[in-house]
This record gives sequence, C-alpha cells and structure tokens, in this order.
Amino acid sequence: MSLTQNITRVFGIFAAVFAIAYTIAFEWHWELFSYHPRLGEFGWGRQPSRQGPVMHWYGSMATGLVAALVASAIALPFVQKKAPPLWLGWAVPLVCIVSWMWFLRTFFLR
Amino acid sequence: MFTLVTVLLILHGLLAVALMGVVSHQAFAVLFPARSSGGFVTAYRAVSAARFTNATIVLYVITFVLGGWIYPAYRVSARIWIETARLWPISGMFEMKEQALAIGLAMLPFYWLVWKDPRDEETRTARVATTSMLLVIVWYSFIAGHVVNNVRGLLGQ
Repeated sequence: MSLTQNITRVFGIFAAVFAIAYTIAFEWHWELFSYHPRLGEFGWGRQPSRQGPVMHWYGSMATGLVAALVASAIALPFVQKKAPPLWLGWAVPLVCIVSWMWFLRTFFLR
Repeated sequence: MFTLVTVLLILHGLLAVALMGVVSHQAFAVLFPARSSGGFVTAYRAVSAARFTNATIVLYVITFVLGGWIYPAYRVSARIWIETARLWPISGMFEMKEQALAIGLAMLPFYWLVWKDPRDEETRTARVATTSMLLVIVWYSFIAGHVVNNVRGLLGQ
C-alpha cells in the first residue's frame, strides 16, 4: 500500500483527535497561544486580557492541529494493516459538537 | 466609507451563500436520491452528488479563512457592544458557530475520503453522516453570523 493511501486512511483519526483536543484545549485552557486583537500581539499559552479583549480561538485550533498531526503520524504505520473504523471521522466530532452545546449553555440560561 | 473589514465581511457572506448552495445540493442528493429529473424538487436531488465535494472543500476553507481574518474586528467592536447590551444568547450563538466551524474544518479531509468513491457502500453511512453534519454546521453558522451581523437592526437597539 502506498504512503498516499496510508495518509488518507488516517483522515478519520485526524478529525476525531482534532475535535477532542480542540474541545479539551478550550475547556482546560491548553491553548498554544493567545492573541490580543487591540494590541495586535501574540503570547504563548492562555493569557489574561491586556488593554482589551483576548482571543483564544486561534490558539485552541493550533493545539487541536498539533495533537491531530501527532496522533495521525503515530497511527500511520498501524493503519497499513487495518483501516481504522470510519465512525471515528464523524461520530467523535459529532459528540464534541454536542458537548459544546452543554459547555456554552450558560450563554442561553442567563 | 467601506473599510477593508466591511469588504471582507461582504465577501465572507457571499461565499457562505455559495457554500450553503453547494453543500445543500449535495446533501439532498445523497439523503434523498432521485433517479429521474421530473419536477424542480426531483431535479434538485437528481444530480451527481460527488461533483460538489471539491467545491464544498474549497468554499469552506476560503470562507473560514476570511471569517478568521475579520474575527478580531468582531471581537474588539461588535462583541463588546453585544455584551454591553447583555445579549448573551446572541454572543452564545456566535461562540457555538466558531466551535462547530473549527471541528467541521478538521473533518474536511475525511469528508473528501468518503466521497472519493461515491459508489462504495461501505462508506455510505460515513458519507451521509459527514455531509449532513457539514450541512447543519454551514446553515447554522450562516444564520448565526447573519443574526450577529444585523443584531442592532433585528433587536431594535
């Protein structure tokens, strides 16, 4: 099996790990970096607001991306023998999106 | 008169409309396939759904990048106004949009994979589920973005 075929086989793992890592990063404050839009400055990790709001979204996505790439790279040799289950690619992201509705409920219950 | 952010916001909205059209067409074709193309509704479903895959991916990525580009402008102006007006559900709608879109973005390679061979019955469930999820994400995000963008007019404040 070619490397390209192996890479496509980990796409489900990539989607699942990104969804989990992104959700954890946001909830547990594991953002790789923060952005201060008013100052136009970046800072490592989760930072408090400084002269205006702070944005963690980009940093959470970066955490999710790094985790998904690492997990996909680790899984690469294993998927050669057996393809991962397809439900990983949609069921795990679906659960994460539903969990977000729970995490964000306070916005709608105030 | 028009700042760069305004131009990008309008472009972002237009691309989102195109994305909604493409992903809706594909989702209807895969969820309710039609063999003939009789009336308008049947013809809408009787298309080769796989042809929309690349267009969906390209439009999703470009729309996402534009949204991410103008997000800081929203964060330092519109969002502060929304919070000052104590419109928490509106702010929450936008929060939900950004989370769903980020997760949807990471699903795009998998979405491409399950559409690579649309006749493969083994991937059918994943194909239907992934396309349906993207459909819901895109429609929800458009509506949420539209409401946030027009919040002052819509809520009369």
